[in-house]
Amino acid sequence: MTNPPPMTAPERERAARERGAIDLSCRGPVLYLATSGVFWLLVGTALAVFTSAKLHTPALMAQTPWLFTGRPRMAHLQAVNLGWASLAAMAAVVWLTSRLCRVPVAFPALLYAGGTLWNVGMVLNVGGVLAGDARGVEWLEAPGYAVPFLVAGVGLVSAWTAATFGRRRERHLYVSQWYILAAVFWFPWLYTVAQLMVFGLPGLTRPATGVVQPVVNWWFAHNFLGLWVTPVGLAAAYYIIPKVIGRPVHSYYLSIIGFWSTALFYSWAGMHHLIGGPIPAWLSTASVVGSMMMFIPVIAVAINHHMTMLGSFHRLTYSPALRFTVFGAITYTAVSFQGSVEALKDFSEVAHFTQYTVAHAHLGLYGFYTMTMFGLLYYMVPRLTGREWLSPLLIRIHFWCDAVGITWYFVALSVAGWWQGRMLNDPRVPFGDITEYVLPFLFQRTGAGVLIGLGHVAFAALLVANLGGWGRPRPGGPTYFTGPAAVREGSTTPPPGPLPS
Amino acid sequence: MDRSLVIFVGALLTFSSSWLGLILFPYWQLQDQPPYQDTAAGGEAYPRPLAGQALAGRRVYEANGCLNCHSQQVRSQKFGNWWEDGVMRTGADIRRGWGARRTVSRDYIYDRPTMLGTLRTGPDLANVGTRYSEAWHHVHLFNPRAVNGWSIMPPAPFWYAREKVVGGQKSDRALRLGREWTVDPGYRWTPTDDEWAAVVAAHGPALRDAFAATHPGVIDLESPSGLRQLYAFWLTTEEEDYQIVPAAEADALVAYLMELRKAETPLPEAKE
Repeated sequence: MTNPPPMTAPERERAARERGAIDLSCRGPVLYLATSGVFWLLVGTALAVFTSAKLHTPALMAQTPWLFTGRPRMAHLQAVNLGWASLAAMAAVVWLTSRLCRVPVAFPALLYAGGTLWNVGMVLNVGGVLAGDARGVEWLEAPGYAVPFLVAGVGLVSAWTAATFGRRRERHLYVSQWYILAAVFWFPWLYTVAQLMVFGLPGLTRPATGVVQPVVNWWFAHNFLGLWVTPVGLAAAYYIIPKVIGRPVHSYYLSIIGFWSTALFYSWAGMHHLIGGPIPAWLSTASVVGSMMMFIPVIAVAINHHMTMLGSFHRLTYSPALRFTVFGAITYTAVSFQGSVEALKDFSEVAHFTQYTVAHAHLGLYGFYTMTMFGLLYYMVPRLTGREWLSPLLIRIHFWCDAVGITWYFVALSVAGWWQGRMLNDPRVPFGDITEYVLPFLFQRTGAGVLIGLGHVAFAALLVANLGGWGRPRPGGPTYFTGPAAVREGSTTPPPGPLPS
Repeated sequence: MDRSLVIFVGALLTFSSSWLGLILFPYWQLQDQPPYQDTAAGGEAYPRPLAGQALAGRRVYEANGCLNCHSQQVRSQKFGNWWEDGVMRTGADIRRGWGARRTVSRDYIYDRPTMLGTLRTGPDLANVGTRYSEAWHHVHLFNPRAVNGWSIMPPAPFWYAREKVVGGQKSDRALRLGREWTVDPGYRWTPTDDEWAAVVAAHGPALRDAFAATHPGVIDLESPSGLRQLYAFWLTTEEEDYQIVPAAEADALVAYLMELRKAETPLPEAKE
C-alpha cells in the first residue's frame, strides 16, 4: 500500500487534540481495569513466591490447610492469568480500540460493570481455590460459582469492543485491531466452550468423559495463551514500537501473514502437552504439526518487530515503554521458537513432566506478555492521568528486577528441568536422587521470584503515586528516563508513513 | 465488504477448524467407550466407577491440587528416545514400577475430572494403589519426610487429629510413628536440653532396657556417646500419652489412592 502524504502542522494538532479527547473518555474504565489487574498481579506474585518456597521448604506453615502447596499454586495460576493477564488485556483492548477506531468511549458503564463482574469472579475464584473448592483441571481450577461472573464480565467487554468497531471513524484497520477483534471474540467463546465441555451444565449438557476432558483442557489452556494473551500482547507491541520510535511497521504484508497464520495454527497446538499420554496418537501428531507451522507467524512477527526497531535501538536507553515492549517482543520470538521445538516428540520425551515446561510457560507469560503489558502501561497511564511517572529510578529498579529475575528463573529451571527429564528417563536413578538434584534450583526459583516481586512492588508504587497525583504534569511527548533535548526533539518529528492514530 | 467482517469470519473459521479437529473428532471417537469385560474368562468389568470414601477422596485430591505434582499416566514401553543408550532408551515408566502396562483411554472412562497431570515433581500415581499399604499412606501423608528423608511433598497434619490416649489403650487406627514426628505435627520435633535431661532422669534405665530388647548392643547411660544413642532411640519411639488418628479427609484420600490401579488389569488395546 502507498503511504499517504505527511500530515501538515494543523492536521497534526487536530489529531493530537482528538487523541487527548479520546484518552480523557477512556480514563476511568481503562485505569480501573489496569489497576485491578496490577492488584491481582501482586496477589499472584505473593502466592507464587510462597508456593515456590513451600516446594523447597515443605514444613513452611505446615498446619495451615489453605496453604498446602497445591492450593496456593492453583490460586497463583488463576490470579496471574485470569486476574492480571486478562484484566491488563481488557485495559489494553479498551484503550487501543478507542484510539485506533478514533471514537471516544461510549457506554463506560458497560466497561465498569464488566470489570466489576470480573473482579467479583476473581475474588470468588482465588478465595474459593484457597478455601478448598478448586476443580482438578489445570487452568480451569476456578470453582463453579466464580465462572458465571467471569464469563459475564469478559462478555460485556467484548460486546463493548464489537460495538465500538461498529461505530469507528477510522476506516483503515491497523494490525493491532485485527488481533484485538479476533481475541475479544476467541476468549469468551473458548472459556465458555471449555467450561461446558469439561464440567457440563448440570441438567442441561453432559460433560466430556475420560480422556476427552484433558483434550479439551489442553486445547483451552494452550489457546488461552495463543488466542487471548498473545494477540493482545502483539497488538500492544505493534502499537507501542512504531508510536515511540516514530516509524511505521516494517511490512504490512508480513503482518497479514503473521496474523492469519497465528489464527490458523496456534489453535491447533495444544495437544503436545499430552504427548505419550493415553490419547489417540494422531491428536498429538496434529498438534506437533500445528506447533511446527507456528514458525511462520513467529518469523513474520519477528521480522516485522525487529526490522521496525532496526536503527532505533539507542532509544531503549531513554524510553521505558519501549524498553519493556522490546524486551517482550524479543522474548516472544525466543519463546515461540523454543515452544515449537519443545513440541517435537523426541524433545518432549525429556522435557515433558519436568520444570523445563514451567520455565517455558513463564518465559511466555512473563518474559513476553507481562513485560509487553508493562510497556503499554508505561506509555498509556501518563496519557490518561496527565501526570508523568514519579521516579525514573523506580522505573529502572522495576525493569532490572524483572528482566534479571525472569532470566534467572528461566535459566535455572530450564537446566533443572532438562536434567530432571534425563534422570526420569533412566530407571536406574532412584526418584529421591532426582528430587535432591532439583532442590537447589527450586531455591533459586524463590530468589528469582523475590526479585521479580520487588520489581512489581516498585511498579505498584509508581502506579499508586501516579494515580494519587504525585509527579509533575505531563508536557506532552513520550516518557523518558532522562531527557536530553536533542533526543526529545528527534522523536517528535513527524512520522514518515502511516502511523496508528 | 467491511474489513472487520472479514476478520471476524476468518477468526471464526480458523478457530472452528481446531475445535472440529482437536475436540469434536476425539469426542465422537472416545466419548462413550464401554468398560472392558472378558466374558470368556468370566472376569469383572474394568474399570469400575468409584464409590463411597474413594469418591470423596478424589474430591480431596482434586481440591488440594495433587495433580500439579503427580501425573496419572503410564507411558508405553515403546515411548522413548532413539538417541539414548540402552537402559534409558524406552519404557522408563514401566521399568520404574509405576505400572505393568501403559494406560489407555479406557482406563479413564469413569474419571471426573481426568487428572492426567503434566508434572512429575513427585512419582506417577496411576497405579499407586498396588504399591503401598493404607498404613504407609497415612504416615506418608501426615509427614512425608518420616518415610522418605528426601521428600519435598508438603505434610498434611491438618487431616489428622492429635488426641490424648484414653484408658491407656491406643486406637488401632493410630499412626505408628516416632515422637519426633508426632509432638509437633507437620514439623520434626526435638526436645530442649532441660526436657531431655528430665526424660533421662525419669525413664533412662527403662529406655535402655527397651533399646536392648530390640537392638544389638547395650547403651552406657554414663557416657556422652551412649546418651546420644539413647536420644536418637527415644525420638523414634512412640509418644505414650498422645496418638495421631486420621480424620475424614485423610481416610477418604487414602481410600482413593488405594483405588488407583489403572495399569494392573490387562486390556486388549494396551499391548505395549
